[in-house]
Amino acid sequence: MNAFWIILTGSLVATCCSLLGCYLILRRMAMVGDAISHAVLPGIVIAFLLTGSRDTVPMLIGAGLLGVLTTLLIEFFHRYARVQADASIGVTFTWLFAIGIILLSVFAGQVDLDQDCVLYGEIAYVPLDLWITESGLSFGPRTVWTLGVVALLILLFIVLGYKELFLTAFDPAYAAAIGISTSAWYYALMTAVSLTTVASFESVGAILVVALLVGPPATAYLLTDNFKTMLVLSVLAGILASFAGYYLAVWMDGSIAGAIATFIGFEFLLAFLFSPARGILLRRRQVQPVNINQSDSVGKVLS
Amino acid sequence: MILQVENPVVEVHDLTVSYDRKPVLWGIDLTLPAGSLVGVIGPNGAGKSTLVKAMMDLLPTGSGYVRIFGQPINEVRKRISYVPQRESVDWDFPASVFDVVLMGRYGKLGLFSRPRKADKDAAMEALEKVGMESFAKRQISQLSGGQQQRVFLARALAQNADIYFMDEPFAGVDIATETAIIELLRIMREQGKTVIVVHHDLQSAAEYFDWVVLLNMRLVASGPTELALTQELLEQTYGGKLTVLSKVGDLLRKQEFPSREVKS
Repeated sequence: MNAFWIILTGSLVATCCSLLGCYLILRRMAMVGDAISHAVLPGIVIAFLLTGSRDTVPMLIGAGLLGVLTTLLIEFFHRYARVQADASIGVTFTWLFAIGIILLSVFAGQVDLDQDCVLYGEIAYVPLDLWITESGLSFGPRTVWTLGVVALLILLFIVLGYKELFLTAFDPAYAAAIGISTSAWYYALMTAVSLTTVASFESVGAILVVALLVGPPATAYLLTDNFKTMLVLSVLAGILASFAGYYLAVWMDGSIAGAIATFIGFEFLLAFLFSPARGILLRRRQVQPVNINQSDSVGKVLS
Repeated sequence: MILQVENPVVEVHDLTVSYDRKPVLWGIDLTLPAGSLVGVIGPNGAGKSTLVKAMMDLLPTGSGYVRIFGQPINEVRKRISYVPQRESVDWDFPASVFDVVLMGRYGKLGLFSRPRKADKDAAMEALEKVGMESFAKRQISQLSGGQQQRVFLARALAQNADIYFMDEPFAGVDIATETAIIELLRIMREQGKTVIVVHHDLQSAAEYFDWVVLLNMRLVASGPTELALTQELLEQTYGGKLTVLSKVGDLLRKQEFPSREVKS
């Protein structure tokens, strides 16, 4: 049963991260995902200090706010201080993460949070933290429920906002011209990334979140030319990595999160070598251009 | 020579745009007549793209305002369309030609609704107009420059807007595509649409456009092509640069002996 809960947790995190990661890598913002996954730490600590509980909702709100603040700060430094985008990302998230670490260490006595846990996570403990009602009924691990709700929200977000997310990722200037708010969708996406990060940080840790945000989407990108297929493939790659990573860790008696991240890297390598579309070993022959008589097509312009 | 018109489609009043406190456009005042093919012409760095983007309110403007169809731009977004520079997007994006053209329908669809059959038909029809229907399923990374431009044009056509802003649609395309595009633009003009085109080639400007805006940070001229595209005004626009002046000479010679073959 423990194996089931751990793999389910990994798969839920993988689903959220892979879906959002597809948008991040196509917007060339994979490192913003990295930044957010670290910078939410002070939000979590502050939410904890204010409410005094480790309830999920205040933490999600605290982390969500910090996530948006991170993207705002990155934008601000990049646009107004005219620092390079990657430098601006680096400065912002290390700074916010450091503040989180200081808050953690200063209030260590009051905070039931652990630095190692935040960074590396401990997915093996997921089955221990059960949601048990007052009548003694057990509903399984608490994390699975939180992640399940977040995964549903993200799925809903992507299904409902599919065309806007697709267009603003591909051509933001055109989107703005025809009246689709690029910044609203940008911040909605970043809020979704923050939610995912904080929902998964205690089980898998910030580092595995980054691996799942970038690895499966990058693998799927190598395998297909179709965006919807890319979304599906990246979720499959993430879930496969959770399964394989778990059993790899059990076999080696090592860290589960580490094994999952390793397997993600392995998947990427395989796609890089053997992808039919872009792999370096089996590259598909370029499609020949369709032979259309271009001067003819001029004749049937508009009716 | 700045000619103002009655009942303009586009009215730009005292528009100033700066990047990083460095002004790029200074006090632009112009009006454009309905149903015309307008060329925005000027040297590199003159602010041509900036002017077009500022008209659509895609950039923060320092002062001034823009009215389209006599209304603020946000009231009429559904009636305007934009063809950005080809290089402004990533053509390795996992999308097909049809996916991109269908984007033209997104503005009308509104939040949460999916493209219906009518939208797909409109996208396909737009692809036929640019002669790219056999490419519908093609991955966009496999297109040539001219084909990319046609796809962008098809996306704008699928929108069925009333005013079109196009940023350098003729840059780096083959002659067949250039001819196809200008043919399309003329048909659009006949249907009463207004098309505003950022253009860099002086030689074809006189032939393509019926209204010309000459720009070099300040507005030099805005008027019917035959009045605005004169040697004197071009010299003012290009600041008497030698290479350009010889081009102007070429242009004037071409006006005497109209020929269409020579195109670099």
